[in-house]
Amino acid sequence: MLELRGVAYRYPGYARSVLQDLDIAIDRHEIVGLVGPNEAGKSTLCLVAAGLAPASIGGTLTGSVLMDGKPIAGLPVHELAAWVGLVFQDPNTQRSGVTGTVFEEVALGSVNLGRPVAETVARTRSSLATLRIEHLADRDPMRLSGGQAQLVAIASILAMEPRLFILDEPTAQLDPEGTRLVGQALRRLAATGTALLIAEHKTDLLDGLCTRIIALDGGRVVLDGPADTALESDGLTGIGIQPPARVRLARAIKASGLRVPDELEQVAAGDRSA
Amino acid sequence: MAWRRADQIDSATAPPARTGGASLSPADATYLASLAPPAPTTYHRLNPLTKAAAATVATLAAFILGGYIGPLTILVVGVLPAAFAAGILLKLGRFALLISLPVAVSVALVSVFTRAGETVLFVIGPFDATLEGVDFAGQIMVRLIVVAMALGLFGLTTDPRALVVDLEHRGMPPRVAFAAAATLETIPAMIDRATTIQAAQRARGLDTEGSLRARLRGVMPLIGPVILSSLTEVEERSLALEVRAFGRPGRRDLLWSLPDSSRQRFVRWLLLVVLVAVIAARVTGSMPAFL
Amino acid sequence: MSGRWVRILAGVVATLVAIIIGLSASGTLDATPDPETGLPAGAHRIDSIASQFTTRTIVLIPIAIAINIVLGQTVGTALKIPLYLDSIGTILVGVLAGPIAGAVTGLLANLIWTFVLAGTPFGSPFAWPYAIVAAEIGLLAGIFGYYGFFRNRPNTPTPQLVVGTVISVVVLGALALWGILPAYTEGVTFFGDLASVDPIFQLVAIAIAIVLVLALVALVVQLLVRRNLGVAYVVVGGAICGVISALISAPITEIFFGGVTGSGSDLLVAAFQQAGSTLSNAVLQQGLIQDPIDKTLTYIVVFALLHTLSRRFTARFPQGERAVGVEEG
Repeated sequence: MLELRGVAYRYPGYARSVLQDLDIAIDRHEIVGLVGPNEAGKSTLCLVAAGLAPASIGGTLTGSVLMDGKPIAGLPVHELAAWVGLVFQDPNTQRSGVTGTVFEEVALGSVNLGRPVAETVARTRSSLATLRIEHLADRDPMRLSGGQAQLVAIASILAMEPRLFILDEPTAQLDPEGTRLVGQALRRLAATGTALLIAEHKTDLLDGLCTRIIALDGGRVVLDGPADTALESDGLTGIGIQPPARVRLARAIKASGLRVPDELEQVAAGDRSA
Repeated sequence: MAWRRADQIDSATAPPARTGGASLSPADATYLASLAPPAPTTYHRLNPLTKAAAATVATLAAFILGGYIGPLTILVVGVLPAAFAAGILLKLGRFALLISLPVAVSVALVSVFTRAGETVLFVIGPFDATLEGVDFAGQIMVRLIVVAMALGLFGLTTDPRALVVDLEHRGMPPRVAFAAAATLETIPAMIDRATTIQAAQRARGLDTEGSLRARLRGVMPLIGPVILSSLTEVEERSLALEVRAFGRPGRRDLLWSLPDSSRQRFVRWLLLVVLVAVIAARVTGSMPAFL
Repeated sequence: MSGRWVRILAGVVATLVAIIIGLSASGTLDATPDPETGLPAGAHRIDSIASQFTTRTIVLIPIAIAINIVLGQTVGTALKIPLYLDSIGTILVGVLAGPIAGAVTGLLANLIWTFVLAGTPFGSPFAWPYAIVAAEIGLLAGIFGYYGFFRNRPNTPTPQLVVGTVISVVVLGALALWGILPAYTEGVTFFGDLASVDPIFQLVAIAIAIVLVLALVALVVQLLVRRNLGVAYVVVGGAICGVISALISAPITEIFFGGVTGSGSDLLVAAFQQAGSTLSNAVLQQGLIQDPIDKTLTYIVVFALLHTLSRRFTARFPQGERAVGVEEG
């Protein structure tokens, strides 16, 4: 559905390309985790995939970005907004500041797209229900906790019903409670069947959620494979990514040579029913 | 929170919602109507444009008519009864006094004591208060108080968001609506930030009370950080808006609207006619002698 | 024609000239036929007005208006310093986004201040008549930004520095001589028959002349020490903006508010009236002292701000690169 072919991107005024010769394809219903050290290009990749780079921030893009086979180059960002959604890290700057209730805030994207009122209301209600935040509908968007605000941001993009939902480090500025809330939200998002691309440092959030992991380093793809094997691979640690806790647990167990109960081994292997 | 009951929604006055395929359920319609700001009295419930027209015409007429009788008539016949109907007479009085008091001091200084005149009433040091000066000051004060009250009446009975939403329904571009509405939120946020930064600076020993020099020293290092931290947000805010389809040209289907009626439309036209008449009378010099 | 109307006319003409320059700078008055289509080139560039209003600009505008109002109310009203400093936001938008965006920001700022903020503690029922002045300030700032007045010019080579200094001194001197001083000498030129003018005004005129000379000297010293010609451009721009703003706002203050603004400047007006000026002259005399100082200071603040902000930030605005200059090295 989304395809990057030979994509390289340079920010305006910089000589170095942040992304170099990327070939990535994401299908519908895929849930992709994007990991990599800082400055690897994760955020840049999110901006490119959403069409904001170069359309909104300038810069030079070589190669092509295709949505359902059609290149998005030259398309205005507000048209792309209906197809690709993007949630950023900072819950504060994603608040529009012009709405009085969370309901209106979540409806904003749909209203901006010019949709009829009835359709907007239906989508807003469904989005609030999916994320289980109907109880926040009448609250003032400026008086929410970081985690709640981030959920509202996610809901407001969900109400636009994008085909691909990108999240760029959604928990980076949240406290543990907020991170937990967003983690839950991500699972509910995944259950809707929308394609997801989640850039995250916290691999525990991606564990059990993603079907596929892409690792970026220095603007290039260094790892691209099914989530369970990818998260356990040494390649991840090699580029400075901390694997999920269970993987670290498993490695610690193995390294110590201790014999442990079977249940513990199963947990370390990622079996959530144990 | 919402003052409207479901049976008060008059389908003849609410603009028809473009519903496309699906249609709005009554429960949803009620909910959307409840999003509009609460309005306790009939005056509050008037369309924002009507209230704005009244305030503008009152203000302009007060300036054009000049003198005492014109502005006072506007006050007594227009502003005060409306304020009484809206139940904010006392509040409005206090508001107008608050605004006018600092100006009154200046008016006294500029218009009473230093203005050239013939009939001296009394003398204080080098300043003489003349009859002409007092008269001029009186006219200015009356005018300013009427303006303050007319605009205050508008401000105290109209939710700013409601005004912006109504203007957008009437054709104002969504981007202008955004700029106007966002200013409401930005100012208190900026003041909060300034207070925080100032507290931090004071904690670092910056003396901000007392002499002019100290006050100046307290403000200058504040300007930079407050402005800069507000500006650095612009990039992220604009990207967040763009992914919410902000830049799309064309009209939007807004969730709620303010009711209007043909009677109010008539009143607005009437107000315009009155204003034009006042301007014409003043320009052609055919103002009745008592005004 | 009485002196007052001459001044009003001067202000209006200045604004019209500014608008024309602004429109031609944004390309909309270009009537040369496009070689391909034969239509006037300006017809395509009507959208250059629209192109000044990118999402970034629209997001900047409420922040700029908030800066105006918060600073204007703290500095002017609370601190009682006879400065307004309520145009920083307008000028910032003008420089970064263009003359039309600047003008719209100024207009909106004053209208929002009165109508949208009415009833809130930040509202001001007396701000709306000055919307036209605010629009002119934004327009001028956009034009100056377009022509690179806000660029940093460090290490200017000496010949250019000398030429630039001389030109700015001449321009400022001319501005003072023909724009400012006549208000105090009632049309008598500095070298004319001073004896016929009221002694208090002789003193005021001489005092102003001394202050101006000192300011010029300070400017020249700054230029020679810092070797940054950008300072000269900014000061000249600010002075011009101040004079034009004073010319336009004086009649507004006089006609609408009887010469008072509720700020410290009223003391000056009272002083001039006490010395014998009519109200309209007194308001103008006060304005021609206060506005050039206020606007020059504001321009300097904006100049400092623009070069503190990262280039990444400013370059993404429609006029950003033009205004701030391209990265050197």
